[in-house]
Amino acid sequence: MIELQNVSKYYGTVCALDDVSFSIKKGEIIGLVGPNGAGKTTAMKIITTYTAPTRGKASVGGYDVIENPLEVRRLIGYLPETVPLYDDMLVSEYLEFMGQIRHLNGTLKKRLDWVVEACGLESVLKRKIGVLSKGYRQRTCLAQAMIHDPDVLILDEPTSGLDPIQIIGIRELIKQLAKDKTIILSTHILPEVSTVSDRILVISRGRVVADGSFDDLISKVTKRGSIYIAVKTGKKDFQAAMKSITEIDELSFDGTVPRNIVGCHIYYNPAKIDMVAELNKIIRERKWDILDFRRERLSLEESFIRLTQSSDLKNGSSNNR
Amino acid sequence: MKDISIVFKREFRTYFYSPIAYVFSIIFIVLNTSLYMFHFFFIGNCDMRSFFSSLPLVLGLIFIPAISMRLWSEEKKLGTIELLLTMPVRTEYIVLGKFLASFAFYLIALAGTLTIPVALLILGKPDFGPIIGGYFGAALLGGFFLSIGIFISSFFSDQIISLIITSLVCGFLVLIGWQYVPMVIDGWIPGLGEFLYKYIGVTRHFNDIERGVINIQSIIYFLSFTMLFLYLNAKVLERRKY
Repeated sequence: MIELQNVSKYYGTVCALDDVSFSIKKGEIIGLVGPNGAGKTTAMKIITTYTAPTRGKASVGGYDVIENPLEVRRLIGYLPETVPLYDDMLVSEYLEFMGQIRHLNGTLKKRLDWVVEACGLESVLKRKIGVLSKGYRQRTCLAQAMIHDPDVLILDEPTSGLDPIQIIGIRELIKQLAKDKTIILSTHILPEVSTVSDRILVISRGRVVADGSFDDLISKVTKRGSIYIAVKTGKKDFQAAMKSITEIDELSFDGTVPRNIVGCHIYYNPAKIDMVAELNKIIRERKWDILDFRRERLSLEESFIRLTQSSDLKNGSSNNR
Repeated sequence: MKDISIVFKREFRTYFYSPIAYVFSIIFIVLNTSLYMFHFFFIGNCDMRSFFSSLPLVLGLIFIPAISMRLWSEEKKLGTIELLLTMPVRTEYIVLGKFLASFAFYLIALAGTLTIPVALLILGKPDFGPIIGGYFGAALLGGFFLSIGIFISSFFSDQIISLIITSLVCGFLVLIGWQYVPMVIDGWIPGLGEFLYKYIGVTRHFNDIERGVINIQSIIYFLSFTMLFLYLNAKVLERRKY
């Protein structure tokens, strides 16, 4: 549905995107993740035909963004990061205008009713946009992006400025829409991408540094598995038992548990050993009472920082060359 | 056509939301009619010569820049330009819709000065040829200045800067058409003043029409420059991508 081939974008001499390629299939939800200034918004502006790539080709639904911009625009609904709205219009007037300029004629009334309900705008329809709270502005702009029932939705930080309940509401809405739409959403709120998107693209300094599902990314950033275990036994007994597993990289004891209990984070390489089975065997042999046993994952924030930092390192070395 | 009218309607309505447009229209009408009344009572001629002779400067310096400044500058400031230019509508149509909205608003303000010919009709027997010609010329001139204004406003996100630069450009075009300004310029660079007066100055063409001489050359001058600036406006907005 969306194709970027070796796309670079320079603003003057500043490089915003550096040889970026990716392709997005119909029906996918893509989370575009990266620190501020990484190039997320630029990528979205190219897809929506607002700016043109300096080099490379981009297309949406088979239409090139430079040669057939009008066809591309018809396919896309766009929520820009800045949430631009005409402050002196009423919400209803604005949505009607956006529907008209999108060439909705007979279906306009139906679509209006639908977006107003989906975005929860009934109570502010007759208010001036200029007096709306940030959350309502965000939702009005989102309503605008969906009014023509587009195949592709480009959402630049759709949940910024919303309260937690509204965020959940928008996430639900996105999931609901996802059945028959292709969605790209950018964010730097990490839990958001893991709950909503099928696939995550991490962009840092204008390059795609990672592309895959959430779990792929986690295993990419860390080859290390981690299990937390708490059992009723002495520390010495526990240590002696752990010595029998040579694949353990590191043990890190938990100081917050009571004396007669051992709590420990066990780090290991999941490629070399099935640690869960191994631990189970030992526990059964030694007849420990289990108080806690869980597989630990790196937090999203942690993996995110590792990804963007490792790309910094790569860039650093290439600069030195 | 439909696209143009959708943009036109929104844009035209916006003029009535903001107090700025009202304020400037009132200033425009009051300034023009009172300037005229001063002449009218002083000289006592039953025509509108003095009205039309001061009109280009009032239009170029104040009124037109004031109504054209927001056309793109406001969109840039609000960021709405990003959505507007990613709508499935040709940029030319958006430019044309915006231009026509400002032009319609200008015509309404201009119609506010129709009290003068009405008063003349009651007080005496004016020659309507030059008056009709004058209003026709004023419409053409306003359209021309608006096309410059909308073009300039696409470069700045600050409305005041758009206003000042439009005012400077239109003011220059008016002044260059006054006999003695090109003469001074000719004094510095021989030929330049004459050239500017002949080909660029607005006043000469406006005066022709206003005298009741509907001169094809002058009409073409206004229409072609208006279209040129509107075309350039659309091209500049397209170029912005690169």
